[in-house]
Amino acid sequence: MKPDKSTKPLIRAKALSKIYQMGEVEVRALTGVDFEILENEFIVILGPSGSGKSTLLNLVGGMDQATSGELYYKDLPLHQADSKKLTLYRRDAVGFVFQFYNLIPNLTAWENVSLSAEIAKNPFDVSTTLAQVGLAHRGDHFPSQLSGGEQQRVALARAIVKNPDLLLCDEPTGALDSQTSIQVLKILKEFHENYHKTVIIITHNAGVAAIADRVFYLKDGAISKIVTNAQPISPEKVTW
Amino acid sequence: MLFRKMLRDLKEQKGAYAACVTVIAIGLMVYTSLSMVMDNLRLAQQSFYEKQNFADGFVDVQAYPYNQVAKLAQIDGIAQIQGRLIKDVRVINPIEKGGNAIHSFPEAEDNIYLRLVSLDTSQTSLINDVFLLEGIPLTEDSLNLWVDNKFFEANALQLNAELSLIIEGKKETFQVTGMGQSPEFIYAMRTTSELIPNPATFGIGYLPLEVMQSLFNAKATVNNLVFTLEPGASFEEVKAYLETELKPYGLKSIYPRKDQTSHLLLSQELTGLGATAKYMPLLFLAVAAMILYIMLKRMIELQRTQLGTLKAFGYTNREIVLHYLSYALLTGLTGGLLGGILGSALTEPFLSLYRQYFNMPGLEAAFSPGYFFLSLILSTVFSLAAGYQGCRKILKLEPAEAMRPVAPPPGKKIILEKFAFFWQMLTVQGKMALRNMLRNKLRTAFLFLGMMFTFTLLALPWSFKNLTDVMLFDQFEKIETYDVKIPLAVPLKQRAAEQELAGFPGVKNVEALAEAPVKLQNAWHEKDVVLLGIEDGSTLYNIIDNSGNTLDPPSGGVLISERLADLLEAEPGTVLTVESPFFENTEIKKELTVVGVIPQNVGINAYMEITSLQEFLGQGELATALLLSIEEESIPLLKEKYNNSMLINGIENRLSLLRQMQDLMDSYTGMFYAMFIFGIIIGFAIIYNSSVITLSERSRELASMMVLGMSPKEVLDVITFEQWFVSFFAMLAGIPLTKALMAAMAEGIGSDVFTFAPEVNADAIILAFLITTASIIFAQLMAARKLKNLSLVDVLKSRE
Repeated sequence: MKPDKSTKPLIRAKALSKIYQMGEVEVRALTGVDFEILENEFIVILGPSGSGKSTLLNLVGGMDQATSGELYYKDLPLHQADSKKLTLYRRDAVGFVFQFYNLIPNLTAWENVSLSAEIAKNPFDVSTTLAQVGLAHRGDHFPSQLSGGEQQRVALARAIVKNPDLLLCDEPTGALDSQTSIQVLKILKEFHENYHKTVIIITHNAGVAAIADRVFYLKDGAISKIVTNAQPISPEKVTW
Repeated sequence: MLFRKMLRDLKEQKGAYAACVTVIAIGLMVYTSLSMVMDNLRLAQQSFYEKQNFADGFVDVQAYPYNQVAKLAQIDGIAQIQGRLIKDVRVINPIEKGGNAIHSFPEAEDNIYLRLVSLDTSQTSLINDVFLLEGIPLTEDSLNLWVDNKFFEANALQLNAELSLIIEGKKETFQVTGMGQSPEFIYAMRTTSELIPNPATFGIGYLPLEVMQSLFNAKATVNNLVFTLEPGASFEEVKAYLETELKPYGLKSIYPRKDQTSHLLLSQELTGLGATAKYMPLLFLAVAAMILYIMLKRMIELQRTQLGTLKAFGYTNREIVLHYLSYALLTGLTGGLLGGILGSALTEPFLSLYRQYFNMPGLEAAFSPGYFFLSLILSTVFSLAAGYQGCRKILKLEPAEAMRPVAPPPGKKIILEKFAFFWQMLTVQGKMALRNMLRNKLRTAFLFLGMMFTFTLLALPWSFKNLTDVMLFDQFEKIETYDVKIPLAVPLKQRAAEQELAGFPGVKNVEALAEAPVKLQNAWHEKDVVLLGIEDGSTLYNIIDNSGNTLDPPSGGVLISERLADLLEAEPGTVLTVESPFFENTEIKKELTVVGVIPQNVGINAYMEITSLQEFLGQGELATALLLSIEEESIPLLKEKYNNSMLINGIENRLSLLRQMQDLMDSYTGMFYAMFIFGIIIGFAIIYNSSVITLSERSRELASMMVLGMSPKEVLDVITFEQWFVSFFAMLAGIPLTKALMAAMAEGIGSDVFTFAPEVNADAIILAFLITTASIIFAQLMAARKLKNLSLVDVLKSRE
């Protein structure tokens, strides 16, 4: 069942910019973007490589500091937060899923999830969460003993178990085949629907956009358009 | 969970961490064991000195009236002063005489001597009192004596055993009624040239003063004084007073406690121990800290994305830094604990070694929690400091930055490439290695320093051992080349004595030696030494200069040893003032000109031609010892004929002295091997870690090379080239470092007994070179095993 949409903004950005120094090259990753993301929204950010998707996600996730502009999580000004406040923000409010899973190779699946639950304020049960992603039986396997899809599901469990208000996914299906990708998207969608949490997915796969409430199109560091889906489809119907 | 991660990470690199732990453990083992031993020795020494009232000053004199000794106590600064008789006597070994009855010494092939020291039973608080371990008080009604416990044990004596001594040419039989220890003879040697106590052939005997006076016809006189000082009194001032008072009685020397042989050698041992206990562990900890630092730094670079992930979850910097510090902490704690335990366990064996040479009560191993915990704290602090330096970068890293790959290092040309000729000579692997070296300057520097230390640690002990070997053997193979030396009990007429022995069967050559105790003075510098008179053209006692040439003893002046020249600030041409109890008139001072300075490793002396010395002394043609060149078979005959003569103090066989030296050197061998093994371990740890780090860091590059068809060996060349290149120069740099340390040791160890020139010999350098090389090869082989296990597919598949 689809929950009622809230109108309260969770994230607000104003003229947000980010410029990197990569070795000797200056990269203008974001060039003054404005947007709002509401509580309990499912957002997909679409754009080609180098369009600034990951930068945007990193800023929203408190992983990086903006060069200029304003960014709020609820009433917390992330653009002014020092690294301590940002750490706390990530610890309490955010769950991350990466394209390459980034599991700790020396910890088992269960331990990887537990690692994240240990520092959360109000975590879900580790084993239950693993069961939710369909890996109850693989808990004592090390990442190297799991397939890519399984690893990504562990990574999902690891993000979800914290019970975060905001789940950020950087190309979560980028390294997976279509069947596995659908599984991953389903888990994300379930989390969104069951717990009424905001999920942001970045991808360059246009098909995924159809499952979102709203889609941000990014190009050359700016939001070129925002499209609202009146009827988001379920992940099974996504075309690859 | 992070704890589990740490354990598993550690397990993966167990070789590297184990090497690190070993290096720490060795350092702290040395620290705890030597510190505990040193404390024990020092405490034992202090309490023994205090309890037995050890003297602050010592006086040797020809004969001083006993009844005047008490008056000397009036001198300002003297707390207590007592007179004693001290005489060396020979013990009759019934075996060589075919005798019966009394105790025999089956082990001793040499002469056995006792130094008889009188105990003044009329005094209530004796200076240098004997600590009686077994037995009953001495009595004056019969001939009984105490002996020192080492002599007692070495010769398997029993209480009430009988010993026959030759006293003033007569055989006197004593009953052993006790055995004990004296603070004066903790390190008991007959002459300083022996260097090592040999309790089987030399011991101390204690007799009542009166008994001794009558035995030696020294009615109411003493030949030795000992005194203690008032707190804060100056030895030099007291000495000045005593000199005026004692000069008419044939004063030989007055010296403070710090120059007393037993005390001097014990103090030197303590100083040496202290230095080793301080610097060795520091070296080891520094190496371990560098290894840890580099390993952690590297690990953090490798785990950059893991670290970023942890940060992305909201793990705080503190939590992450603590996690990485726990690697260092665990390594440090394990090493410290291991070192502490091993060190404590080693205390007893070390002490038992000291008990062999140093004779005092209280040398028992006591566990000292202080040092144990200090070693734990030391290792922890070192490791944490190194670890913190290694993972400081975490703090600066933004999580988003951590998730991105590191910007590739700027690929610049290095300076060496400008030397086209050199650069063209290198293989691709060599070029890669050189560029890598210059990009990781810190790591290269560490490799360099580490290998330099390894080399030094190997070269130094060996060089020292070789040097002492050579010098000691020089003394008895090049300088003192006689077969037998006969010290005379009283100075004799040179010619008569020579004639007496020249006719003895088997004697090829006889030379006389005159040894005059003198005080040499140059301005305010003064030193008591023995002035040796040697026959012109002597072949049995050679004076050798710095270039190895034999010099003739001078007739118009003196030759002095280098150390003596330093002490007196004298040089050729300096006119020295001379005082001697051997002068006809002991009140006067005479002058001698220094004509040359010669090297002397054992002892310090001045040298003159014997006739000139005799004229200078004005006592006629006296000799105090005779040197013989003699057929070896004739030595027993010689002993049989003269051993019991009251005119001589014994018959010394040079070969047995040489054998004693050999024993002394052998007793140190264990220590040299230990240093060796330490050196090898450090070298191994450094090379192994450097290989492992390079392997993990460049696994992608190396795997690519293997995919291109290179053999593991060719790939390994990238790593080994770097190590050989750096190690080669490090070893070269180790040579001057070894030299510098030898010089420091020469400075520290040099004393009146023993001095040496800080030379590093080729043997030691070659040996250190070979062993360092071997440890490099061994470590590389171990690392090569890791490369074989590298899965090409995994490495290349993984994301950069």
